[in-house]
Amino acid sequence: MKKSVYFVLTTFIGLGILLFSSCEKKPVGGSQEPAGKLKFNFEHYVDGSPVVINAMNYTNAAGNQYLIYEVQYFVTDLVIYKHDGSSKMIKDWTDYHYVDTNIPSTLLWEVYDSIPIGTYDSIAFHFGFTDSKNISDMFSYIPESNMLWTEPDGGGYHYMKINGKWLDTNNSTRGFAFHLGRGQHYDTSGHPIPPYIDNSFRVSLPGSDFTIDDGKTTEITIRMNIEKWFKEPNIYDHNQWGGDIMENQPAIKLATENGWNVFSVN
Amino acid sequence: MNYKRIIQTTVLVGITFFISCQKEDPNDMIIPATPYEFKIPKGFPTNPNIPKDNPMTVEGVKLGRYLYYDDRMSGKADQGMGMSCSSCHLQKFSFENGIGKGIGTTGLETDNVMLPHVNLAWNPGTYGWNGSIASIEDDIDGVVEGPVEFVSTWPDVVNAISAVPEYPAMFNAAFGTPEINKDRIKKAIAQFVRTQISSDSKLDRVIRGEDNFTPAEQRGLVLFTTEAGADCFHCHGAPGNPLMTTNLFYNNAKDTVFDKIGDRYSVTHDSRDIGAYKATTLRNIEVTGPYMHDGRFKTLDEVIDFYSEGLEYSEYSHPLMHKVYPPYGHGAMLNPAQKADLKAFLLCLTDTVFLNNPDLSSPFTAK
Repeated sequence: MKKSVYFVLTTFIGLGILLFSSCEKKPVGGSQEPAGKLKFNFEHYVDGSPVVINAMNYTNAAGNQYLIYEVQYFVTDLVIYKHDGSSKMIKDWTDYHYVDTNIPSTLLWEVYDSIPIGTYDSIAFHFGFTDSKNISDMFSYIPESNMLWTEPDGGGYHYMKINGKWLDTNNSTRGFAFHLGRGQHYDTSGHPIPPYIDNSFRVSLPGSDFTIDDGKTTEITIRMNIEKWFKEPNIYDHNQWGGDIMENQPAIKLATENGWNVFSVN
Repeated sequence: MNYKRIIQTTVLVGITFFISCQKEDPNDMIIPATPYEFKIPKGFPTNPNIPKDNPMTVEGVKLGRYLYYDDRMSGKADQGMGMSCSSCHLQKFSFENGIGKGIGTTGLETDNVMLPHVNLAWNPGTYGWNGSIASIEDDIDGVVEGPVEFVSTWPDVVNAISAVPEYPAMFNAAFGTPEINKDRIKKAIAQFVRTQISSDSKLDRVIRGEDNFTPAEQRGLVLFTTEAGADCFHCHGAPGNPLMTTNLFYNNAKDTVFDKIGDRYSVTHDSRDIGAYKATTLRNIEVTGPYMHDGRFKTLDEVIDFYSEGLEYSEYSHPLMHKVYPPYGHGAMLNPAQKADLKAFLLCLTDTVFLNNPDLSSPFTAK
């Protein structure tokens, strides 16, 4: 009798263990390496303060009084580096993140990847897409598809759109579409001459060291300092370049050269 | 004896184990009707806006099609005021009315011109000229009970539809029981509206590699898709966004004074939206005049003239309307040949297959 009670009890316990363990979700990838998570916040500042949308509050280095209407851009191929030179590219299913000041959810990037624990020295990413990854029609859904850069201009996608307005020399409020993407050279008849120009560039963030702890999420804030697009090394004057620059490679070149210190980590 | 008990216990525990591990899956719910195969055309977004609580079924779409065309839907047919969706949304006009504002059962006019029912399955949840309507289902509420269109009540509509002998069986097929109610009527019509897909214009055939643009159409496409040209694409898409709309809202520089009534601002209270209305799809634009929210332009030529030299300066126009300023003056400043080329491209957006699709026509006349 005692024996059979013992047998029933052990059977129950055994099956109970089996039941709980079998229902447990297996981790994707099965990696047992200690790891944490990474979360990026994106913020947009002008002259050291959060941008106030649609307010003619700002004056750029050229002396143009201006306002910001919306900011939309792609961050791609984000890589984190360790002191020993090893690195990891954030995949997050894909290898891009779209940021849009009109869509609050895009201002947060919760990286899907598990990040091995340790101290990391720095972060770098691509502004826009490298040419090989800037493929027309790769986004069929909004809002990314609304960033298309049309075929006559080289195809692919806008790296960034900053739409805004400035007060021109007549004190009239004029719109500007500060749009960056592939550039074109034109022949004397105005026809584009291939190949198109890759204006995307790599951004290395100074002071972007951070630590990943096991099972914890590390938050990093990436700030765009909007005024710097118009500041250095080139003074960008809206009165000179006008409202649209998609087909104006000299203007795009000048603007992208200014991109080197636009982003910072806070 | 003990072994028998042990075996019984083991079997019991085993059953518990399998039941406990089984996940609840909403797809396991009994759906009486046949799932509708929603085909996404080449190049179209792969994320159509189909509510989880209204999955499309063959029977639901069929029922919705009948209701869409049934003028008993106003609940006032017995008073000589029969009206249905199709009263103002005619297939030959890409499911709008072809004359401008809609006229309801009491003779009142809608505030704005009709919007076409085309590719609404991809609207992100901002229906109507100002985006105030969150779903097609919600829109039907407004049509039935609003002060201009059916000017009716749901009980009257449900009674009218319930009185039709054929409908209980159709509701039974679509929803599992013959009950007719407001929720089911809205769901069925919305399912049908989501099948109103235009994806066979010349532009689509070119995208699919089945056709080629003429030189004039090709020049028109370049004008459409370049900033220095007509710069239409920022708001109305391009071959890379074949919905031919961003489904966003813009003040497109057609006015200088704004009353803030009925515009996007009236919904968001964001100063950027003063005087802003939806950039409508350009699909079938040839047959969807008059144009703009108030129907001020009767022809496509007038619209092209407006964007070429008719823009009006105001501080509220969207930054993308930057051609309202010097050196452009009042628009893209297209010459007559360019205007003709641009129009030639716009005509490539006419989808005669859609305009004549028998699956979208009235089931009553089809009988």
